[in-house]
Amino acid sequence: MGRTTHNMLKDTLAVVLAGGQGERLYPLTKDRAKPAVPFGGVYRIIDFTLSNAVNSGLRRIDVLTQYKSYSLQRHLQLGWNIFNYELGEYLQVIPPQQRMASVWYRGTADALYQNIYILEKERPQWVLILSGDHIYKMDYARMLKYHIDRDSDLTVACIEVTREEASRFGIVHMDEDSRIISFDEKPADPKPIPGRPDAFLGSMGVYVFNTEELVRQVIADSKRSTDHDFGRNILPQMIHNRDVFVYNFAQGSVGNPYWRDIGTIDAYSSASRDLLESNPPFVMDDPAWPIRTYQGQHPPARIVSTHRDPHNCGAAINSLISAGSVINNARVSDSILSPGVVVEDGAEVEGCVIMQGTIVGKGCKLRNTIIDKYVHVPPGMQIGINLEEDSHRFTVTKSGVVVIPKELPFEQGFEVPVSS
Amino acid sequence: MTKILVVEDDKNQQELYRQELMDEGYEVDVASDGKEAITKATKDRPDLIVLDISMPGMDGIEAMGKILGTDNRIPIVLNTAYSSYKDNFMTWSADAYVIKSADLTPLKNTIKQVLENVRQQSGK
Repeated sequence: MGRTTHNMLKDTLAVVLAGGQGERLYPLTKDRAKPAVPFGGVYRIIDFTLSNAVNSGLRRIDVLTQYKSYSLQRHLQLGWNIFNYELGEYLQVIPPQQRMASVWYRGTADALYQNIYILEKERPQWVLILSGDHIYKMDYARMLKYHIDRDSDLTVACIEVTREEASRFGIVHMDEDSRIISFDEKPADPKPIPGRPDAFLGSMGVYVFNTEELVRQVIADSKRSTDHDFGRNILPQMIHNRDVFVYNFAQGSVGNPYWRDIGTIDAYSSASRDLLESNPPFVMDDPAWPIRTYQGQHPPARIVSTHRDPHNCGAAINSLISAGSVINNARVSDSILSPGVVVEDGAEVEGCVIMQGTIVGKGCKLRNTIIDKYVHVPPGMQIGINLEEDSHRFTVTKSGVVVIPKELPFEQGFEVPVSS
Repeated sequence: MTKILVVEDDKNQQELYRQELMDEGYEVDVASDGKEAITKATKDRPDLIVLDISMPGMDGIEAMGKILGTDNRIPIVLNTAYSSYKDNFMTWSADAYVIKSADLTPLKNTIKQVLENVRQQSGK
């Protein structure tokens, strides 16, 4: 190719799709878009994708927003305002323009169709399409180089999954040459990787397109009655007459090939637990691959104990405790606390995710509960202990995770409004 | 009868297109700018639109986006004096791109071809 890595990256536009409604993450998405949901104590979900882009050397990023974008936009403004436009670097937040249609984005491909104007103005040679709701570390430069070396029209990043997992994915089937020959959405009987009967390739929703090809495809798709989805519609269309290749995430991942789509509360909860393992499958403290975010000014976390008795002291074990939090003669285990969380005297918090500014009152017992921001849990409250009782008041997932929405007012006597 | 909407701001050219396309056996209506084109396209549902790009008021590119937003199947032939728009992604939604000339044969042939393609696709 003769093209330097530098030019390759300069000629690439990263488009982050951040417009999904995130209904299955409700009530965490009650007041915010899915990519803005807090994760891992101090981060928002979108920080992982954006950190990947920046760590890969990409400096042209458009984030396409849609529903409930206020908090996402503010986060990007505060935490990601690090680009220098004069050097050709930018991160732009682009709400729907309704230039081509007077409707919300009807699918991932429609989001690009409705923004062809931006591709025309920015004229990159390649477009890297990313999702704002995945947790992973990936070097996109390696994938871009692969795309260019293979002279591909479309390259699809895929992760190896097991047969059981395959039914939750769009499964790609490739030949020995990594060329994609079919695509099945959530198949009951998936086709394995050639020569490996128990391994399957799930699409991660990460794509590299030659820009002109992308424009042609989304226009053609806009004229068909489809779901306007890259995986379900554009990919199957292109495999017949274009060069479409798999890029195996195992080659592009930084560290473990760990990738999670934070689509549901249970997925959120399980990915949060992963961070707490003694040897976590996903590490956030790799100096070669920093995950950046916006963090306010907070004093150090304080863990206070007036007793020295190990059975009765204030403590935090196996937990992520963010700055500004105070654990006051209380016990926190296997939990993630965002900045400014207060756990008061005698409270027990186990297996919980507690977001910024929430106060857990004296003597509370919380288990397997996600508490969104700025909730004041009244003293003595028990949540996650009796799920039957909890389910009358809160969202309780199939696997027994209780979710308390943002700023929920607890009234005296716990006569709280029933949440759907 | 096949209905064609010609969008063109120049009155003399409007008349020329009307006459010549009627002679080809089409029913012809005209609009003078993008806004009128959207109104007529939505109301009268023409079988094909011949669309000038550079017009006072709303231009052809913007009108095309809006028209396709209400009916994504309506065939559009961009008809412009400028070849430079051809590389512009915003024009790629059109079914064809014709450079204006005194001789209307290329336009007429393109219209025939586009209508034929539509017939074949809907016949599938």
